[in-house]
Amino acid sequence: MFSQLFINGLIAGAIYALVASGFSLIYSTCKFIHFAHGAVVAVTAYILYLFFSLLGLNFWLAVILTIIFAGFFGWLINKILYKKLRKRKASNVILLIASVGLLILLESLILLFFGADVKTIGFIKIAKGLEFLGAIITPLQIVIIISSFVLLFLLFFFTKKSKIGKAMRAVADNRDVAEIVGISAEKMFSWSFIIGSAIAGIAGILVGLEQNLEPTMGTNLIIKGFTGAIIGGIGSVPGAILGSFLLGFSENFGIWFLPSGYKDAIAFIILFVFLLARPQGILGRKK
Amino acid sequence: MISAYFIHLLILIGIYLILAISLQLSVGFTGLLNLGHIAFYCVGAYASALLALNGFPFWIYFLAAGFLAMIFGFLLSIPTKKLKGDYLALATLGFSFVIYAVALNWTGLTRGPLGLPGIPRPTLFGFTFSDNVSFLILTFIIVLISYLIIKKITISPFGKVLEATRDDELATRVLGKNTFKMKSISLATSAFFAGLAGSLYASYITFIDPSSFTLLQLIPVLCIVIIGGLASLKGTIIATIILVLLPEPLRFIGFPSSIVGPARQIIYGLILLLILVYRPKGFYGKVELE
Repeated sequence: MFSQLFINGLIAGAIYALVASGFSLIYSTCKFIHFAHGAVVAVTAYILYLFFSLLGLNFWLAVILTIIFAGFFGWLINKILYKKLRKRKASNVILLIASVGLLILLESLILLFFGADVKTIGFIKIAKGLEFLGAIITPLQIVIIISSFVLLFLLFFFTKKSKIGKAMRAVADNRDVAEIVGISAEKMFSWSFIIGSAIAGIAGILVGLEQNLEPTMGTNLIIKGFTGAIIGGIGSVPGAILGSFLLGFSENFGIWFLPSGYKDAIAFIILFVFLLARPQGILGRKK
Repeated sequence: MISAYFIHLLILIGIYLILAISLQLSVGFTGLLNLGHIAFYCVGAYASALLALNGFPFWIYFLAAGFLAMIFGFLLSIPTKKLKGDYLALATLGFSFVIYAVALNWTGLTRGPLGLPGIPRPTLFGFTFSDNVSFLILTFIIVLISYLIIKKITISPFGKVLEATRDDELATRVLGKNTFKMKSISLATSAFFAGLAGSLYASYITFIDPSSFTLLQLIPVLCIVIIGGLASLKGTIIATIILVLLPEPLRFIGFPSSIVGPARQIIYGLILLLILVYRPKGFYGKVELE
């Protein structure tokens, strides 16, 4: 029982971490809460469904196109909505409300185009679970865990070592100083949206393969990813990852004490407690 | 047929009006960015439905719905009293998720996703508001009373202190006003009216389930408040009428309900984004969100 809950927690944590890391990358650079990030995950899952299941493209081609689409989609959102709001010096609250509006808008568009019924991508035939320390895990779940670890490592490497990553951190740290030394903040905002959304796209693909597609999946995922980010420290990508795994474990071990229907409620309660008691999160610095 | 449908729309406008003017009290007049308004509406609807199903008279369950929501509003205001701006927005949003999860999972009380059917229509002095015309009159009276009370609050000295708290909290405290208490009262009052709206909704539709109290339901109310303009009751009334009626032509053109539902949300989402980008003060707004 323990090892099964542990593995379930690890899988949930890996998915939340993919959502949370992109979200937190965007937050740390642009300094506002991009709730519609969840809708980006949902849209990409449906795009994969469109490319692979409806148009019948080769699976790997469909995956690559979907990730490119996700990055482009994030760039577009920033360009046509957030950039305009920033231009007229809208407050963070306005940006937050706009992102909630966008989340609902995108979910309704999915509902309109794809309908309310549950979709399955069905690339991986239902495989027999492998037994691992007394717990059952499917090959796809192993892929999810490994690819999220690889990706999160790459993301870490990217922000620490690459030129764009460093420039992004400079903008996150102090926008004015960064602009003085010639880094365009707007450009870095665009990059953070492209990279953050591409990671959201990968999350969308993995979730789409593991679970069924529903128009409201984006809201559920962003609440979890967002909670993970708040637990670990919203402005720090490693913090968001840590928080996501903690959330995945506490949700799954929580069903030892509570009926499984309360899984979501556990996340909300943790979110609420952290917002009130430690809004900067475990790894976050107090402003 | 058309007139019956028109009466239905008028009742909806009435329910939305109570929700919107009460949200206006906390968001517009006090500057508390409360995204948990639907949670109070949910609490009111469930409290009213459960008491009504257990045979309590209308005036008891109607007021109980308001007072229970008010208690929740007050309780929410205590831990969140120091939060500002987007953190307050998130905490209240988180609160509404908790309420939704409880409504969905506490099956012993709420029957979870099955919902509560067969909620009786209100009965007052032996008269049952079973047809929609009489229900419309009841709604109209409740809307009028709610409007007058909130109007009275906003023009009273207390209302001016609320506005001062919104504009400059520190200065208001320097003047010796306990702004935490002011904000608490404002949020609790706002929750009270949301609870009344929930009670009206439950007794009008006669069926409630948790799906009526999600983030989706918040968007139209938020849209109304922002489009009407913060701290403007006149703007709120006009915006409510326009926004409730706006998606209705879709139904007459003959689209099936599987398209009308999402199209309605798309319209609200788009309007919200357009207004935030191009006219953030709304039509009659005095202040901008901060």
